[in-house]
Amino acid sequence: MGCGLLCDDVTVETSGDDVRLRPECRLGARWFAERTRLTGKPPATINGEPAEVGAALARAAELLRSARRPAVSGFEGATVEDARAAVALADRIGALVSHGSLDGPWAGAPAVPLRGSSTATLGEIRDRSRVVVIWREDPERTHPRLLGRLGFGGPGERTLVVVDERETATAARAGLRLTWSRERDLVALSALHALQRGLTIRLDELASELSGLLERLATVHHVTFVYGAGLTAGPGGQRRALALHELVRSLCQERHAVTLELPAAPGTRSADDVLAWQTGYAGSVDFASGHPELVMATEPLDEVDVTLRVESGGSGGALVAGPDAEVWIRTAAAGVSAEGTAHRLDGVPLALQAPQADSAPTAAALLARLLERVQG
Amino acid sequence: MTEIRISGGAVHDPANDVDGAVRDVCLKDGKVVEDVGPGARRIDARGMVVMPGGVDIHAHIAGPKVNGARKLTPDTRRDDPVNRTSMLRSGTGGLVPSTFTTGYRYSLLGYTTVVEAAAPPLAARHVLAELRDTPMIDKAFLILMGNNQVLFELMRQPGGAASERLRDAVAWWLEATGGYGVKLVNPGGVELFKRDNGNVHSLDDHVAGFEVTPRQVLEAIGGAVDELGLPHPVHVHANNLGVPGNADTTLETMRTLAGRQAHFAHLQFHAYGRASGGLPSSRAPALLDHLSDHPELTADVGQVMFGEAVTMTADGPVGALLRDLGAEAWLNHDTEVETGCGIVPYRYRASSYVHALQWGIGLELFLLGKDPWQIMLSTDHPNGGSFLSYPKLIRLLMDRGFRDEEIGRANQRAIRRTALTDGLDREYTLNEIAIITRAAPARRLGLRDKGHLGIGADADVTIYHDRDDREEMFATPRYVIKGGELVVEEGELHRVEDGVLLSARAEFDPEVSRVLEPLFGERYTVAFEHYPVRDPALREPARVIEAAGS
Repeated sequence: MGCGLLCDDVTVETSGDDVRLRPECRLGARWFAERTRLTGKPPATINGEPAEVGAALARAAELLRSARRPAVSGFEGATVEDARAAVALADRIGALVSHGSLDGPWAGAPAVPLRGSSTATLGEIRDRSRVVVIWREDPERTHPRLLGRLGFGGPGERTLVVVDERETATAARAGLRLTWSRERDLVALSALHALQRGLTIRLDELASELSGLLERLATVHHVTFVYGAGLTAGPGGQRRALALHELVRSLCQERHAVTLELPAAPGTRSADDVLAWQTGYAGSVDFASGHPELVMATEPLDEVDVTLRVESGGSGGALVAGPDAEVWIRTAAAGVSAEGTAHRLDGVPLALQAPQADSAPTAAALLARLLERVQG
Repeated sequence: MTEIRISGGAVHDPANDVDGAVRDVCLKDGKVVEDVGPGARRIDARGMVVMPGGVDIHAHIAGPKVNGARKLTPDTRRDDPVNRTSMLRSGTGGLVPSTFTTGYRYSLLGYTTVVEAAAPPLAARHVLAELRDTPMIDKAFLILMGNNQVLFELMRQPGGAASERLRDAVAWWLEATGGYGVKLVNPGGVELFKRDNGNVHSLDDHVAGFEVTPRQVLEAIGGAVDELGLPHPVHVHANNLGVPGNADTTLETMRTLAGRQAHFAHLQFHAYGRASGGLPSSRAPALLDHLSDHPELTADVGQVMFGEAVTMTADGPVGALLRDLGAEAWLNHDTEVETGCGIVPYRYRASSYVHALQWGIGLELFLLGKDPWQIMLSTDHPNGGSFLSYPKLIRLLMDRGFRDEEIGRANQRAIRRTALTDGLDREYTLNEIAIITRAAPARRLGLRDKGHLGIGADADVTIYHDRDDREEMFATPRYVIKGGELVVEEGELHRVEDGVLLSARAEFDPEVSRVLEPLFGERYTVAFEHYPVRDPALREPARVIEAAGS
């Protein structure tokens, strides 16, 4: 759950505060540890003071009912069930819904609706791709088991290509490194596209690096590009993402090519999928007009006065409501003390187990109660 | 539960040989009953047409493929919002509506049961969650098995295609997913596409890496489904969809399945000959002749309707073909071990030779077919057009004058290559419409309680004004009753019903797990013990239909 890979082959061993995962995963161990140390936390707080859950829900409902521009956000580590309940509430109160952080840089408008994409589940990539290009991501740090799950370190020859000028843990494992700066990504992707189509273009210092990559690609029937916020975040992100999808589409003329996106906010794939099926739109959706509208603005939250966050934070999952996090209600942590369904970052749905007992309700249950109170 | 007496309507219940007889239909406790008490609600249906609720045997309404299409096409929904009300969830419409809107709109159209025709088993939890958010209708889904590497491996083991292990595996998969039936899509071809952009072109091409052929897959899995006695026979999307000359492949597929029960999906897309210049021509008559001689085979048409569509298919190579025909947007998704997916927004133009021919071939299948119990209505929603176009399609079948007008708008070179200009004056009767939209699909799905109004049937009933304009008539039912409750009145939803999941179950030797587990371990990135869906919240409420062989 910690990174969205939903590794269902791990065994969790606990000894006191010490948590170990087998196969080893430091990020996963930390994620579990943070969610298993819950002693001393009250079930809810209002303005930082311990409160009954019922009272906290009543205050949250009051805040949401009186909000001029409510928003529902967060969803990191949320289950499908949590997201269903949250979107139902947002629909009822006419809120804006957005998964991920609302405070950080806007991820940019999605490129997929413009030209589409080619994607695959982890097993497809592991079993077929002989070249995997990691584009400005460091999964060794952010998704520690990704490369292993894509077959690296296992049987069969495969080449890891890393596009990144930084000295990262992932770059250290690369069979081929491409080190142009981030500012040159659009030029590089466009040039690769053109060269791949057989066009003659004038190249500068990128020439040898691009040629090296194309030579690798020419030898394989199947290639994967792994990308994420390193490519898509910030100004021009949509154009860069679009250029990647155009390149992949073009590569598909000669071989099978797919992409794998590492979401900027891990564990939000479930919410993204639920939002898409309940509203027709992924990303950020606004219910203010009585029906869903896709939010394309760069600053979607300018006027928001009350935010309900569905969190899976360091002290267990929580619902946080209010302009200044006035209400806090502890929820059971999905995958630790709450069962449910979650979608892996490649879209594969998995059932979550709850190895640790916790009397706290799930976010879905709390959101359902909140909806009742808001309606009442 | 409400008691209802539908009084004085002209009842069209072809499964019970009732063709327009004026009689009462009584409903109680969610079922059709002999009689109800004097306190029952009376619906005055005089001058109206009473039919069982519609049953869609082949549509795409839920799962990762459908959701991928939603993400790909936000612009198509922007102008079709659905507002929340005190009773209804908001949503968006368009060609791929959001889930709640899908349920509402099917209900407003008089449909009460819908089958999602192609779901990756690995994504069953996702499919089930979407179906749970699709109210108003009972729903089922078919699991994709025509490119399943584990099944390919079983076919290669001693005993091969006839192996009991294969039957057990098919039954295990249904149990593991909550699926209703088995779908084969371009058997073998999708595996090759995912491997290196390949495909199969004949039933005897080898699937590299597995040394099985499409013919073996058809025989093995089609045979397994037949022997298990599942309520719905194997549901086949044949090889070479959309390729000029593919009718030969379709006929060979039918011959391969000879003697076994089988349903052929969207037959229109598989009914092409090859004209000069590589263009397609119509072979609909040849396919109909074969069906006529083989009552064990049925088909739905997959009619294309002029206008916007979204093609979405597990047949990845078809998606790539449409991409290369100039598609603006294309989405491909490969699911490990099991299947692929291609999605392309599309527009069928009346002026286009190919599109007009496809349109004409669909109508040929409807109008030249001798037995409406064999040829069922579908647009392969949303591949040939939205399910919302069913009323217009019904008018094309029932109203020759309207049909002739529409034929006049289409590419005449294409129309001349069909039988539509040969004095084809057939007009469907209301009873024939009732057959192709509810009675035959329900029977073919093995849903004994649906598609008819006999005593004990589900109280799913649609009541229409008997209007001359059949499109208007079928677009806006006067009443729709779901499970014995009045849910739609004069184009307005009055009540929300959840509907149930329809699943099928066949007995299997649990020892098959010992065979499957190591094969899973080699191929899936999900552990064998985590694959089956056990969560009651996803699988219930459900009605489980037992296989005849169980």
